[in-house]
Amino acid sequence: MRQHRGMKLSALLLALAAASAGAQPATYVLDPAHSFVHFEVLHFGTSTTRGRFGPIAGVVTLDRAAGRGEVGLRIPTAGVDTGLPFFNARLREADLLASAEYPEAYFVARNFRFEGQALAEVRGEFTWRGVSQPLSLFARRFACRIDAGTEVCGGDFEGEILRSEFGITFGLPLVADRVRLVVQVEGRRL
Amino acid sequence: MQKLLVAAACTAVITGAHADGGNYAIDPTHTFVTFEIAHFGTSTNRVRFDKKEGMVRFDRKAKGGRVEITIDMASVNSGVSPFDSHLRSKDLLDVAQFPTAKFVGDKFGFAGDQVTEVAGTLTLMGKTHPVTLKASRFNCYLNPIFKREVCGGDFETVIQRSQWGVNYGLPAMAPDNVRLLVQVEAVKQ
Repeated sequence: MRQHRGMKLSALLLALAAASAGAQPATYVLDPAHSFVHFEVLHFGTSTTRGRFGPIAGVVTLDRAAGRGEVGLRIPTAGVDTGLPFFNARLREADLLASAEYPEAYFVARNFRFEGQALAEVRGEFTWRGVSQPLSLFARRFACRIDAGTEVCGGDFEGEILRSEFGITFGLPLVADRVRLVVQVEGRRL
Repeated sequence: MQKLLVAAACTAVITGAHADGGNYAIDPTHTFVTFEIAHFGTSTNRVRFDKKEGMVRFDRKAKGGRVEITIDMASVNSGVSPFDSHLRSKDLLDVAQFPTAKFVGDKFGFAGDQVTEVAGTLTLMGKTHPVTLKASRFNCYLNPIFKREVCGGDFETVIQRSQWGVNYGLPAMAPDNVRLLVQVEAVKQ
C-alpha cells in the first residue's frame, strides 16, 4: 500500500493534455452528465444497498488502432448520494469515507485490453482514503458515436474491491466486505 | 449505523400502525427503486427514486402475500439537476399531473420458503399494466437492533416504457426497455 493523494493524477492529466497536441491517440474529456460511479454492497446478506459518486471528472486517451489507452479519473466521494441524507453524513465520517481528509478517490490506468475495436478491460490503480490497490474495470458495453460533429465514446464498466483493503472495516461482516463498482462513463473528443 | 437502524425502526413502527402477525412495514432506508436505461447505445443512465412508502403482507407457510409500494415521482434523482427537471416534465414523467406511481403485487412465487417472484401491476402516468418482479436474492433474518424479523431482497424486471406513454427520445436517444432494480427490506410488525 502506498500513501499518496492525487499528485500522480495531476501529472497524468498534464501528460495527457500534452499528448493531445500530437496526432495519434484521441483524447476525450468526461461528460459530467453521463459519468458516475455507483457502489453496491450487500446488507445483512439480504438486499443490495446502492450509492452514487459523481459526476466523476477526468481525461481518457484512446488509440483504438494500436490497442492502447490511458485514463485518469477523480471520484468525489465526499458528495456520496444514497438517497438518505443521514446515511450520506454517516458515510462521510472518519471510519468510512473519511471525506474531510480524503474528499476524492482516484483511478489511474494505462493497461487497456481491446477486443477488436472495443475496449474490454482497463487495469490500473484505485486510490481511496490514501490507500492504492490494483483494480480492473471490465467493460460490459462500449461504443463510440458522433454527437453534433463530435466523437463521443463511452460505456459501462464494472469492478470489485474489498473495502477492508482500504481500511474500511465498520459493520463487517453484517455489511459485506465486497463492494461492486458500476461505472457509467462517456467522453467527448477534444 | 446504529443511528441509522434506530431511525429506520422508528419509521417502520409509524408506518406499521395497523400491524398483525403477517404484516411487514417497508424499511425506507433499505428500500429503493432504481431504473437503468441505455443512452444513445453508449452507456447506461442509472436513476433512483428517493421517496417511497409501503407495506408487505407475507406468509411463508401459505406461500402468499401482498405488497404495495407508492413512489413519489418528484423525488427522481439522477445526480444531474437538468436531467431530473426534464424527467419531471411533461416530456417524460409529468409529475405535476401524475405525482405518484404504485406497484401492487399479489401473486407471490415461491421455491421452498424463498420468494422467487412477485407479480402484480404497475400504475404509472395513470396507466396500469402487469409487471412481474423477479427475485435475484431473498432472505429473512433477525435484525439485532429491531429485535424483529426482517425480510427482503433484490428484485428486478424490464418494462417497455411506451406502454405507460413515456415515449420521449424513442428509439435513438433511449430505448423502450427500462430495467427496474428494486432493493427492499421490511420489518415484521
